[in-house]
Amino acid sequence: MIENQDRTWKELLQEFIKGIDKAVDELEKRDVDNIPGAKQALLQRLNNMKLHFPTNEGEIFIRSINDKIQNAFFPDTQDFTEAFEKILKSRTHEQDFIINELLNGFVTSKAKAIALGTQGPIIDRMVEAFSKRNDFHIVDHQFFAMFGDPNKPRSYIKKQLEELVNMFGLISKEFVVEKDKRTSERKVYTFYTFPDEILKILEEKYIIIDDELGHAYVSEEFDRTVFICMFLANVAINRDDLEKIGGPYTVNGICAIFALVLLLSFMPKLSVDETNPILRDPTFNEQNMSVIPKSWMMKQVLEPLFEPLIKVVAYRLGGGLWYSKIIDSEINKKIHTQIRFLLRDVNKWVLGQLVRVEIPIFIEIANIFTEITIGTNSQE
Amino acid sequence: MVKISSRREKWHDILPRYMTFISHMRPILRETRRIIIHLDADLLLDTEVLDKIRQEEEKRNIRKVRALSEFSAMYRSNVYEIIKDFIIKYRDKIPILDIKDYIVDFLHESVDALSILQNITNPDERNVANTYLYRLTKFIEEILFTRGNNIKHIYEKLLNHAPKFYECQRHLLMPHTYYREKIENPDFFMIPGISPKVYQVINNITSLYNLDPNFGRFPERNNYEIPMILTNEVFLPYVDSIANAEEEAIENIAERIGLRILDGIFLAPQKNTVEIFLEHNFLRENKQSDDSIRLIPQFSNETLILYYLAFTSFRRGFLSKELINWISMNFAFLTYMGILKWKLSDENIFYAIFKDLQTNEKVLPYLMKLICFPNYLGLDKMKIRDSVQYRKEIFNFIGSQIDNLKDLIEEIAIYCETIDEKNKNK
Repeated sequence: MIENQDRTWKELLQEFIKGIDKAVDELEKRDVDNIPGAKQALLQRLNNMKLHFPTNEGEIFIRSINDKIQNAFFPDTQDFTEAFEKILKSRTHEQDFIINELLNGFVTSKAKAIALGTQGPIIDRMVEAFSKRNDFHIVDHQFFAMFGDPNKPRSYIKKQLEELVNMFGLISKEFVVEKDKRTSERKVYTFYTFPDEILKILEEKYIIIDDELGHAYVSEEFDRTVFICMFLANVAINRDDLEKIGGPYTVNGICAIFALVLLLSFMPKLSVDETNPILRDPTFNEQNMSVIPKSWMMKQVLEPLFEPLIKVVAYRLGGGLWYSKIIDSEINKKIHTQIRFLLRDVNKWVLGQLVRVEIPIFIEIANIFTEITIGTNSQE
Repeated sequence: MVKISSRREKWHDILPRYMTFISHMRPILRETRRIIIHLDADLLLDTEVLDKIRQEEEKRNIRKVRALSEFSAMYRSNVYEIIKDFIIKYRDKIPILDIKDYIVDFLHESVDALSILQNITNPDERNVANTYLYRLTKFIEEILFTRGNNIKHIYEKLLNHAPKFYECQRHLLMPHTYYREKIENPDFFMIPGISPKVYQVINNITSLYNLDPNFGRFPERNNYEIPMILTNEVFLPYVDSIANAEEEAIENIAERIGLRILDGIFLAPQKNTVEIFLEHNFLRENKQSDDSIRLIPQFSNETLILYYLAFTSFRRGFLSKELINWISMNFAFLTYMGILKWKLSDENIFYAIFKDLQTNEKVLPYLMKLICFPNYLGLDKMKIRDSVQYRKEIFNFIGSQIDNLKDLIEEIAIYCETIDEKNKNK
């Protein structure tokens, strides 16, 4: 079995190297970069990748995906609390863009994304519903009162609430009133809250617990991304149960976004001439942004790189199960070309140049690459 | 179905409604402050005393309108509960005299905030340019939804604020109720907000221009070439007809971002857009060997999105219902929160009441309508929804805040301070 796995892994690495070869060929043919030396820098980087990626059975990939990407956004654990804590810890203003993108699933041109368009606003409802009580619970009746549509049956919003409760892994408690004051009938209220261990993690930064009064308030920091982190944690721990996490669409979507994170991290920084207008553009901040070549975005260059990279990510995240779900079709190739335009707030355009915002995940992955490259060179 | 108010509401119809609840909140807080000031600090230690005072106060309630008396009772009870909680929490840590002072100060700040909210404008719109409503709306408008004689002027002003507030500007264009909208309205002039898919399409267009555009003859200027991209290529990745609606409405979308369809297959900048983009370095001239001039695109993330915003602002009379509700909700919320930020210290215990949904839903909907009047945003207030369901949407909206809006609220609070100082110096 292990032998088989190793063989698959080796094949994947070889496929990626072949992909690099094709990309280099395509890149030689055209140049869309207008910064002097940009194309050469990219060519050199691709050649370096080709040289160093197979080192130590693909150590760069293993460390980048296992240690960095998984730790930050998709922890490899069965423990929901641990997974949630890790994702929450990796939050920064910019990394939130990645977390949010992961919820949107993938650019999928397919209709079935992880969360449907209409569920976005419902997450906002959850945030507001939790914010409005001082015990950090939401009650079904309160939720209906806040968001129910008088013109639609209650079952409509009930279903939405149930879906979200499952999606976020909330827990429910029932409170039975034997005789309701108004109707004199028995009434059951369902309270939803976060599991105790999650509450512990949220304490201080996101929830302020007042022991004396027994209240739990949400702080200003509590927002929709907290829920998205829960959702991701839920998908991460249930990665072996495809049915539960939304099937191949989720697998393809998540792998594609992580493949983009990897690719962006590996791109070389370019030095721009001091007369370049980008340096005077108020939206460009030299302290935390780098200009990178844009040629990798060309369809011809991206396609051969992206396909094997997505498979590499899938294999590392979900083993053979995920790998087998990567849809290898012409249609998907089309979809992959779309992924290059994602993560727009950290992979952005400034005056026609592609700029990478140096968020922690990019820096950490780039450091692994540098470390291994330098290590190999010094050994030689 | 959500109903739109059938009656054309006038300023003096809406202002009293806005005032109603605020004018009930302020006396409650003032009265509470008076009571606390005159109460022996030691008595505060016994929370039952506060309960009794509240009960007595409630007896004095002689409001005839049920909704109002219910609201007042709820409001008063919240105020007293918060005071009680504060006392219980700190009675062992802080001397009771200091606790009393804190409560009085917090009440004082809250009364001040309500006083500003109550006097945000006046029934006759007298001296309109000096009212808080006017000045704050104009302040926010300048940053997010600038007015101007032409798109070029508006675009320039928006771009100046983009480095600090681009995320807010983008947020203003993306209503959360996009799924109710049609991208291609039977009324060609109607402008909807940007849905996530349209946002993606605009991103694709930006990227394709920057990556590898074609060039073609500039129809309005000899010897010039403008960049063009194939419409097909924008929609290539969308399989399963998932972006059919967007593809069919590409002409409308293009117009909103300053582009047009040329030869039936290309997306190219309009004549006026070329001028604007050249001025802001989003296009640069490049002389070719045959002496023709090629306009090379160098777009930023904001280039097309801000054009959409400028276009929306310029044609604000033709916005869709969802977009009008969303924009006015943002303005109302920013105005309200800006005033609170200015008047209340961060530790004020009554902040929670101001942010309570029951308070929000009494204040924000009317503030939204007031903000739509011609002197302010000049939007079609008839499109503002006025139903229970709509009020619930305010809750979604408040839950969807972005960090950048918080930065803007800080700026508004600072601006309020400036207005106040200027008024004092007069």
